[in-house]
Amino acid sequence: MSEPLTKLFMKVASVRSAAAAGRSFLESYPVDEIIQKAKHGRDALYPFSDLDEYGRALLGADIGLKQLTRFATLDQLVLLPPIFTPKRLEKLTELGREPYFSDVDLETTIGGFRSRMPVTMASMGSTEVAHGASAQLGRGAAEAGIPIGLGENIATVWGYERRSKASMPSFKQRLFAYLEHLDGTHGGAVIQQSVEDASDELWNKVYTDPDVEPYFKKGLVAFEVKLGQGAKPGLGGETKVPRDVARSLKGTYYFPDDPERVDREMYERHSAPGTFTEDILRGQLRSLRNNFPRARIWIKAGPFRDLLPVFRVAWQERIDAVLADGKEGGTGMSPVIALKDLGLPTLACLTRISDARTEGLPLSFVLSGRLYDGGHVVKALALGASACAFGRPFVVAAGVAGAKGVRNFLEATEVEMRMLVSALGKYRLADVSREDVGSLDRHLADALNIPYVYAG
Amino acid sequence: MAGPVRIPPAEALQRSYLTVRDPRMQRVLRVQAALGMTIREYLNGHGFVELLPPIIGPVADPGLRGAKQATINFYGREYKVMSSAILYKQMMAASLGKIYFFSPNVRLEPLETATTGRHLAEFVQVDIEEAGATYEDAMARAEDLVRTVIAHARGALGDDLVAFDRRLNGGSRPFRRLLYSEAVGLLKEHGREVPYGVEIPWEHEEFLSTLFEEPFFIHDYPRGSRGFYDREDPAKPGILRDFDLLYPEGYGEAISGAEREHEYAKVIARLRETGENPSKYGWYIDMLREGIPPSSGFGIGIERLTRYVCGLRSIWEARPYPKVPGVFSP
Repeated sequence: MSEPLTKLFMKVASVRSAAAAGRSFLESYPVDEIIQKAKHGRDALYPFSDLDEYGRALLGADIGLKQLTRFATLDQLVLLPPIFTPKRLEKLTELGREPYFSDVDLETTIGGFRSRMPVTMASMGSTEVAHGASAQLGRGAAEAGIPIGLGENIATVWGYERRSKASMPSFKQRLFAYLEHLDGTHGGAVIQQSVEDASDELWNKVYTDPDVEPYFKKGLVAFEVKLGQGAKPGLGGETKVPRDVARSLKGTYYFPDDPERVDREMYERHSAPGTFTEDILRGQLRSLRNNFPRARIWIKAGPFRDLLPVFRVAWQERIDAVLADGKEGGTGMSPVIALKDLGLPTLACLTRISDARTEGLPLSFVLSGRLYDGGHVVKALALGASACAFGRPFVVAAGVAGAKGVRNFLEATEVEMRMLVSALGKYRLADVSREDVGSLDRHLADALNIPYVYAG
Repeated sequence: MAGPVRIPPAEALQRSYLTVRDPRMQRVLRVQAALGMTIREYLNGHGFVELLPPIIGPVADPGLRGAKQATINFYGREYKVMSSAILYKQMMAASLGKIYFFSPNVRLEPLETATTGRHLAEFVQVDIEEAGATYEDAMARAEDLVRTVIAHARGALGDDLVAFDRRLNGGSRPFRRLLYSEAVGLLKEHGREVPYGVEIPWEHEEFLSTLFEEPFFIHDYPRGSRGFYDREDPAKPGILRDFDLLYPEGYGEAISGAEREHEYAKVIARLRETGENPSKYGWYIDMLREGIPPSSGFGIGIERLTRYVCGLRSIWEARPYPKVPGVFSP
């Protein structure tokens, strides 16, 4: 009699733990905020609820912490507007009137691509949550005029041109959901290739594809060498696939359970992280340049301790952009122990970017890893990044209102950035610098070489 | 040369069953056959063994500037159509020492190559490999072979050259030898900047070739600009022991060759430059682990040789049923 009871108990416990995981994501990630932006665009920028509206509210800065964080994030930094603003005077002179936040120029170049703002859509891979929404994500990014990343294993899992599953788009459909909605001057597609994609010559396929050819001609395509990802630096990709898929991919991936012999519903599928030395990386980057002269070359680096040497190689090899993904970056599936214990937090990656700037490396740097609002972007820019990549916010936004949700979210983010930059008395992104940011924490202030705000 | 025809004549290519009956084309094909015979005579006379070329295999040469390999379904597994027989050349040089194939290759080149006047998606190269040879030996062999072929063309094929209104230079002096760095420097002098470490782009290669009256070598390419099998010079890290032979007068690349990386651990590291899992190269890796002798070799494209000897404006005039990248023809 006790066995069914145990089973029931286990089941309830597992449902509760699933609910707890969901709740912990809702508590630790600003899902509400993103949903409001995806629904209402710029109208979501003020903290009114249904109870307090303009004229009746008495609002101020939230001084609480939602939860204690284990490591410092960009939220430990604040922006420091001055009263004396020579750059605003310059703008005033140029315009012949007092400038507004709407006068901030957010147009920028990221890794060779023109973008309407210093934000890109981070590379998302083959997981169903990203792939299922990819048509909306691609269209939203294209219409907003920002570059997009296409992650690993999309073609290997979902088919390059023909769908491997009727209800899911192929790699090419996902790519064109983006390319077909570009305005012709903004944006660009950044395509990754895993070790397994390489086995199928994904990049060669794309490069020789007559349909993609016009976009290479216009310089709108980059290939991105992936050196790990935030959530699991040093590990390859992990996901689960059903048996039929597992059988067809056996030999291309590592399956702890052999799909031919072990009977399960879903199979763990691991891909290799890929082996690099400085020499191998250099050789690979040069081969890329030789093989695909009309593609731009990007690097995505996980939160590794040797980021700075990677940046140096990237600069020497004239790479178009390097993206550094912090350990709190989103993931479809990573071991809990990796999430907990592997890699540098996003802010620590930003420190390395800042060091690279101090060394004088004029690379295009993109920062990612749990970044989701205009404040994060402006702080990252102040410390040397050229742009930020967002991942999860777009998935939530697309879930709320499709491509329109993505555009709304970006509209809100854009206005946030304009407000913050103009508050600093600046109207061009290039003018935002270290002087504009301070730290709430003394150690962090020392590490980043910025003021400790309470020190006066 | 009057300069290559840039735009492939798609309609004429679709009617190549007519083109091949044209008297001028017939003459080109006879010259081509004679050139092939001369090459065979030369190689056989120097102790090389002609072998049957491989057509398909589980892996092929990945070192192709942007081209994609053609694949076939081989009883449920994907096999490659030879993009070059390089891996098999090493296999056979380890057995017979001095070997060659007349090797048909397929490379699905990027569309941009359709207008270089010297790229075909299907072509034949004579693939030559010699165990124990250095790349200096291979360069000497390549020079001797090309010199022999040109001398033969000027003699036995003299009437044909007259018919094509073609005067062939070269043969009296040794071929010039430029380091890669010198070639890049020369281009720079003419306002054509090539960043160090990058293969010379097609249009610059053609321009460089117009500066010369006789065939010439470019050697010592930087690592990363060539396939993983070109050996890195132990005395000059970052420099490969490899070479190209270029035809003069704008005809461009004739031959690519190199000393081979043959030590297992070095090849594994170099293979990672392709971004692939070396396990994909299963049999080749196993063979290297067993051990093979050092070797050098090169490949000379038959269509490009024919084009040069006959003075044809474009490569698609230099073989029957040509397959120009992106053009659908018989």
